[in-house]
This record gives sequence, structure tokens and C-alpha cells, in this order.
Amino acid sequence: MLKYTIKRLLQSLVTVLIVVTIVFLLMRMLPIDYYFTEEQLMKFTEEQKQEQLLQAGLLDPLPKQLFNFYRQLITKFSLGDSRRIQSGVAVTKVIATRMGISMRLGVISLGISLVLGVLLGIAQTRFKDKFVDGIGTAYIIFVNSVPSLVSYSLVLVFGSRVLGLPPLYSTRNPVSITLPIVCLSMGSIAGYALWTRRYMVDEINKDYIKLARAKGLTTKQIMIRHVLRNAFVPLAQYLPASFLLTIGGSLLVERFFSVPGMGALMTDAIARYDTNVVQGCVALYASLGILGVFLGDVLMMLIDPRIKLTGNGGTR
Amino acid sequence: MNNMNQTQNNEDELFEFTEYSAENAERIGYSDYSYWKSVLQNFFKKKAAVTLLVIFFLVLIFSFVALKIAKYDITMEPDSSKAFISPNSEFWFGTDNLGRDYWSRVWFSSQISIKLAALVAIGECIVGVTIGCVWGYVRKLDRWFTEVYNIINNIPTIIYMTLVALMIGQSFIIMAITLIAFGWLPMARNVRNLVMMYRDREYNLASRCLGTPLHRILIKNILPYLLSVIILRLSLSIPSTIALESTLSYLGLGLDINTPSLGILLRNARGYFLDYPYLLVFPALIVSLITVTFYLVGNAFSDAADPRNHV
Repeated sequence: MLKYTIKRLLQSLVTVLIVVTIVFLLMRMLPIDYYFTEEQLMKFTEEQKQEQLLQAGLLDPLPKQLFNFYRQLITKFSLGDSRRIQSGVAVTKVIATRMGISMRLGVISLGISLVLGVLLGIAQTRFKDKFVDGIGTAYIIFVNSVPSLVSYSLVLVFGSRVLGLPPLYSTRNPVSITLPIVCLSMGSIAGYALWTRRYMVDEINKDYIKLARAKGLTTKQIMIRHVLRNAFVPLAQYLPASFLLTIGGSLLVERFFSVPGMGALMTDAIARYDTNVVQGCVALYASLGILGVFLGDVLMMLIDPRIKLTGNGGTR
Repeated sequence: MNNMNQTQNNEDELFEFTEYSAENAERIGYSDYSYWKSVLQNFFKKKAAVTLLVIFFLVLIFSFVALKIAKYDITMEPDSSKAFISPNSEFWFGTDNLGRDYWSRVWFSSQISIKLAALVAIGECIVGVTIGCVWGYVRKLDRWFTEVYNIINNIPTIIYMTLVALMIGQSFIIMAITLIAFGWLPMARNVRNLVMMYRDREYNLASRCLGTPLHRILIKNILPYLLSVIILRLSLSIPSTIALESTLSYLGLGLDINTPSLGILLRNARGYFLDYPYLLVFPALIVSLITVTFYLVGNAFSDAADPRNHV
């Protein structure tokens, strides 16, 4: 197991390094002028611009820039300073402050959607092909197919016009996180409900459930003890990934409600050519994604002892 | 008594010799089962999907009519004195924040969005299937393709889109090519998995032994198995392209402002729809109609294409 873990983490590290390097090179393809604010562009002479770029090390040949970037990362654990988002502040610090906001929203919505989604899935299985199932399916189809921009707009109109909730996020007003959380949860509730229902319906048709029924267990006991526990195993695989990805925030929700979180940070950084911040974000996202998948596999193995990752089990 | 007589008669009949008939001896068991006929039959049983599909085509045809009968042309000059007029007999859908007729803008941009989605779906399909077939069939290439897939997949799309928008520009064609360039990945992966499943079946082994060329094996032997999956992906790619396009337009990375799409209308509406809800309602209704239709059609088709559901 230890050998497998180390091998897999090393592989992931290589992938992350390649991804970061490619993004590093892509960001260097941008025209030089974008490194300055409009004000600076007007005031600076050509020499001053060159001076600035030289100081920031942006005129060095690409391999040297890349080498410096990694040296800095390994020796000082630093991704460099932000240029435009928060001038002069270390990238790690910029990311850390925003991470908190995104994570708070994300974790609350993850909790809500896990509970509601699984409950909806159970209800749909329990009353399969009845009214509740139909309502649930209609909801899932709506959320999955209608673009989120439209459904967020509907939530915003309904929330602020009918319920009188604040339409924009602000740190001073704790009620203002309601609408972003509703928007974040809407999609994942549908996802959890869909898969819970799918796995539970698959499970119900298996032979051991018939045996349990013949043995005289009540429907409730069968549902909770057998069906749900088995159906939850494949769902558990996605839990760590979705938990880790809350750090990344949601781009559209955060833009829509002006939440100063991680989701908006990366697009802002790209739009303002803050290369260091972009590299930091990409490194973070790529490692979170890969780590999430790995932890998901481990969690699945812990929950279900029949599953082995190393492939020597032979029964699967 | 009568009853018993009849049974007796029947049993007697069973034991009579039949005459030899050359014609009957040649007759074989025959069923007029045809795969695609059953698929269509099953598909037409899904009332919701079929109804929505009909409505979608009616709306698509109507969008051409609507542009013909519109009182104001799409190229109408902005006139800020006419901004935010609610729908009336002069402006059927009202006017937007710059005083342009919303009716012609909504229908024109619906056509643009549908055109983009269809183009991207077909493009993704061609590129994805071609690469997927090669990826799955040629073992030596598998490692390289997987590596390329991981790398492209791990870099956020938003970075590519920003770079393309800044360095190449924003236009309909560029947008379509970029979306295809990053959208073929899931399709290719799906096709690759299926090709790997079928490539070493006995009938393919036999084909290879008989010296069938590679392209013939791929097109004649393997592709028919993939058709239903390809059509499913094709129809599901339309809602996702429209959703992606609206998100990108919202971030200012989508089409240029001179080619309005539904995404751009939705973005423009964001600032005003709390006061002027009609700016949101019309494009949102059409977007939802398109995406729900193709989502349902895709799912209905994938159910219908499964031979286990056939009679």
C-alpha cells in the first residue's frame, strides 16, 4: 500500500509540474504591454518600461525564468509576488485570504447538498415511478440542462424580489451568503440525488435484497442497512474531491454575487496579466484535483473492504 | 358430452399425417426486426422528448419568419432615448439598455447560438471519433494520447480561452474552432474505451487474419457499435456548448459584441433584469427550450438505442 501511494503521488507530481510549466510558458506568450496598468503605460517611457521588466526578471531568456521560478518555489516555498491584484503581496498570502471565503461558502453548500441530495435520492427510490420520483427527475433535468447563468438569474430574481434577500455578497451582512449558497447547492443536490437513485435502484434488484426480504426484514431496515450502505460506496469516491475543490470556489457564482473568493481570483489575474498569481492558482487547482481523486480511491477502499487498489486481490 | 367430442376431434387432428409440400419445406423462421426501426419506434414512445423536438424545430423556423416580419432591423443604430421600453405593439419584446429592438436581437442571437452549438457538436464529433479510434486501436499511441489528455484536461479552459481571445481575437469562427479544439477530449476518451473493448473480439481477429486494411476494420467493423454513443454525445454536446458559451460571454471571453448570442444577451441583462425582467425572460426561455430539448432527446435516444429495451 505504501509503495503504491508513493508511486502514485510521484506520478501526480510530474503531471502537476508539466501543467504548471505549460501555463508558465503560455503566460509568457502575452504581449509585454499587458504587464503595466494603463496609467503606467501612459506615464512610462520606453526605457522605464524596460527597466521595470528587467528588475522583475521578465526579460531573461525563458529557460532562465523557468529555472528561477522553480528555485524560488523549492528554496523559499514562494510563488513570487503579485503584480496587479494586490501589488507587492506574496501570491501565497493573496490566495490564503481568498481561500477562506470560498471554502466557507463551499463547505456549507457541500453539507447542505449532501444531506438534501441523498435524501431526495432515497425518496425517489422509495417511491419509484410515483409522484415524488417524477418531481425529483424534473428537478434534475432542469438543473442539468438549463445553463447555470439562467438558473442563477432565476434564483437572484426570486430571492431578492420575493424573499427580499440581499442580491450581492458582503462580509458585513451574514444573510447575504444565502443566495450564493443556494446557487452552489442547486447543482450538486441534483448530482447527488441522480447518482444515489441510480445506485440504489441497481442495488434493489440484486438477489441478496430478495433474501433479506424473505428473511422478514422490514423495507426500512433493508433500505438503510443494505441498500443505502452499498449505494454510498461509489458516491464516497467523489466526496474528498468535492471537499478539496470547495477551496477553488465557483467562478460563475462568485462573479454573479461579487464574492471576493478564489473563483474570481484566477480570471481576474488572467484578465490583468498577473502571471505569478495565475501560476499559483493553476498549481493549486491541479494538485487539488489530483489529490482529490487519490483520496477518493483511499476513502472508497476504507468504506468497502472488498475493494483493493493494488490489484493483487484478484476477485474483481 | 359435446365438449368431450370436440376434444376428441382435436386430438385426432394432431395425429394426422401432413402432406409433403415443397414450398413449406423451404420456409424458414423470419422476423422483420430491424435495429434502426426499433430504435425509432422506441424513441417516438418518449412523448416529452418528441414534443419538445417538434417545438424546437417550429421555433427554429419561426426565428427566420420573426426576423422577416420584425419592424426594426438587427443593424439598427443604438438610440439611448428609446432605452428600456417595456414590450408594446411597437417593440414586441421591448428595447435593451441602448434602445435597440429586443425582438430582432433575441431571434438573431438564437440563430447564432444554435448555429454555433450545431457546428461545435459536429466538429467535436468528427475530431473526437477520429482521434478516439486511433487512440484506442493503436496500442503504442495509448500512453502518449493519455498523457496529452491529462495535460490538456488539467489546465483550466478559462486560460486557453483568455489566451485565444487576447492573441487571436474574438469572432464566430475562432470561438467555434477553440471550442472544438478543447471539446473533443471527452468524446475521444469515450470512443477510445469502446474501441479497446471491441478491437480484440474474435470477428476482428478473423478480419485481421484475412488481411483487412486498418481503416476498413475501424469503419466497417467497429464504428457501427459506436453509433449510438456518438449520437448521444452529439445531442448532449449542444446544451453544454450553449451553457459554456453563455458562461464565457458572461466573463467577456465569448463572441465579439457585434455578433450577439444568447449568452451575450444574458450578460447584458445581468445589470438590469431586477428592474426590467423582460430582458431576462425572453433569452432565458429560448436558451432553456434548446438545452432541455437536446438533453431529453439525448437521453431518450440512448434508452432507445439499447437493444435490451427492444421488443
